[in-house]
Amino acid sequence: MDRLHSAVVIHSSHVTKSYKTSTRPALEDVTIDVEKGEFAFLIGPSGSGKSTFLRLLLREDVPTSGDLEVGGADLVHLRRSKVAAHRRRLGCVFQDFRLLTNKTAAQNVGFALEVIGRSRASIKQVVPEVLEMVGLDGKASRLPNELSGGEQQRVAIARAFASRPLLLLADEPTGNLDPDTSADIMLLLERINRTGTTVVMATHDNAIVDSMRRRVIELQLGKVVRDEARGVYGVGR
Amino acid sequence: MRAGFVVTEVLNGFRRNITMTIAMILTTAISLGLLGGGLIIARMTDQMRDVYGDKVEVTIYLTPDQSAQDPDCRASPCTDINKQLQANTDVETIDYESQAAAYERYKQQFAGQPELLEIGTPEALSASFHVKLFDPQRYRVIAEQFDGKPGVQSVADQSAFLDRLFSLLNGIRNATIIIALIQALAALLLISNMVQIAAYTRRTETSIMRLVGASRWRTQLPFMIEAVTAGIIGAGLAILGLIGAKFLFVDKALGPVIRSGILPDIDGATLVWVSPILIAIGAGLAAVSAYVTLRLYVRL
Ligand SMILES: Nc1ncnc2c1ncn2[C@@H]1O[C@H](COP(=O)(O)OP(=O)(O)OP(=O)(O)O)[C@@H](O)[C@H]1O
Ligand SMILES: [Mg+2]
Repeated sequence: MDRLHSAVVIHSSHVTKSYKTSTRPALEDVTIDVEKGEFAFLIGPSGSGKSTFLRLLLREDVPTSGDLEVGGADLVHLRRSKVAAHRRRLGCVFQDFRLLTNKTAAQNVGFALEVIGRSRASIKQVVPEVLEMVGLDGKASRLPNELSGGEQQRVAIARAFASRPLLLLADEPTGNLDPDTSADIMLLLERINRTGTTVVMATHDNAIVDSMRRRVIELQLGKVVRDEARGVYGVGR
Repeated sequence: MRAGFVVTEVLNGFRRNITMTIAMILTTAISLGLLGGGLIIARMTDQMRDVYGDKVEVTIYLTPDQSAQDPDCRASPCTDINKQLQANTDVETIDYESQAAAYERYKQQFAGQPELLEIGTPEALSASFHVKLFDPQRYRVIAEQFDGKPGVQSVADQSAFLDRLFSLLNGIRNATIIIALIQALAALLLISNMVQIAAYTRRTETSIMRLVGASRWRTQLPFMIEAVTAGIIGAGLAILGLIGAKFLFVDKALGPVIRSGILPDIDGATLVWVSPILIAIGAGLAAVSAYVTLRLYVRL
């Protein structure tokens, strides 16, 4: 651990997460480091613990044992009052988009900036910029139900990226999208990654993983079974 | 934080939860209206104590025989009574009223009522000493000293009547405040319920807020503001209710009693005095109840 500490965005050491209601831990002895600027896929069969790991990183839950740090913040001992500040450094995208249905695309992005205390002037400037970046200029005043799935996911990505996070977490962001739309979303995530943002993405989509040739961390029954720098989804799958 | 942003959120919140909000506002209004009524009665009672304190006097009525035989109080036992009163250090002023003077006063008092004037005769009235005390509370001393003395018919004390009036008013005040407290409990539970429902209907919104890094405080603020706004609206309705009650009920039903000076008027100043108290209590009640609910029962 004597590498430049500041370059490590995620430091997970022997992290185990057990839920009271289940016999087997959802995560067991997970030890991985993710460095700044990396793009890492988290793969594995259903129930292998991918979402659980992302939830720990978001501090929606706390590890049962082990050390977990994000951007130098100790998530195991993070005080409840510091959780919000921690999340402001992250962006997150989900399979089900999680947009506010009564707010327009621009309002959804603006809302996220508003609640973290950005000034009105800065919001007015940033929102059109990020919407343009994700290719939604002209659709800023549409409500989510007036947008396609792919477009809704772009709004979600714009919202996650608007605050220029240290780390972007994506839990099956293409899970509800067709292959072409998925490819567009991946291009977008790649672009975001090129700005220096670390991206960790959980996915089932082997085509995407195989085409990107990025780091692949594979989980099975909560354990890391593979961690390759330029991996594919898996042989024989 | 932008005020307009929060206002929109609060208005949306009310709209989504309209029946519950109305129930809560009305209950709060009734509770605060009753409480305001109780406070006004308490204040009136205090004012009355001050006003009457100066006027209260003890009256020593002389027997009819004595009143008729010695109308000008020239002989014993009338002069004895006068001397003893003068010697009493509790006594401030003494005023002798003869049978004839009493009749004059009686005629004046009931000038508009010929039936009463007909049955009243000078002989039916007693001569009396009107005694004002330095401390009206000491009337019992006078009563003990003169009750049953020769020539004395009875010792009457206005403060006995006032005591009854005050205890009646205190009873009404207490009853009003107790009902107000029960209503306040109902209002408290309704506020708590309103906040829980609001938090539930907006759980997606709040979970998204939390996800993008809104602080707990920031997530809870709209619910707090909503509850406090509803509380203040309730207080406003309560104040309107009190104003309405004054003009439509109290002034009509108790008008003659107020004009004759027995009960003080509920004036604008009293309403101005009670209004900020009710608004503060309405807002405070809502804020405390919402805060406790958010802390204990709602996971945001
Ligand atoms: N809140 C919870 N309480 C109890 N068990 C849970 C909870 N959340 C997840 N689990 C269990 O933890 C394990 C890992 O779940 P997780 O959601 O992380 O899987 P996943 O890899 O994301 O699966 P998928 O690909 O289907 O999304 C599963 O066995 C699941 O049942
Ligand atoms: Mg999952």
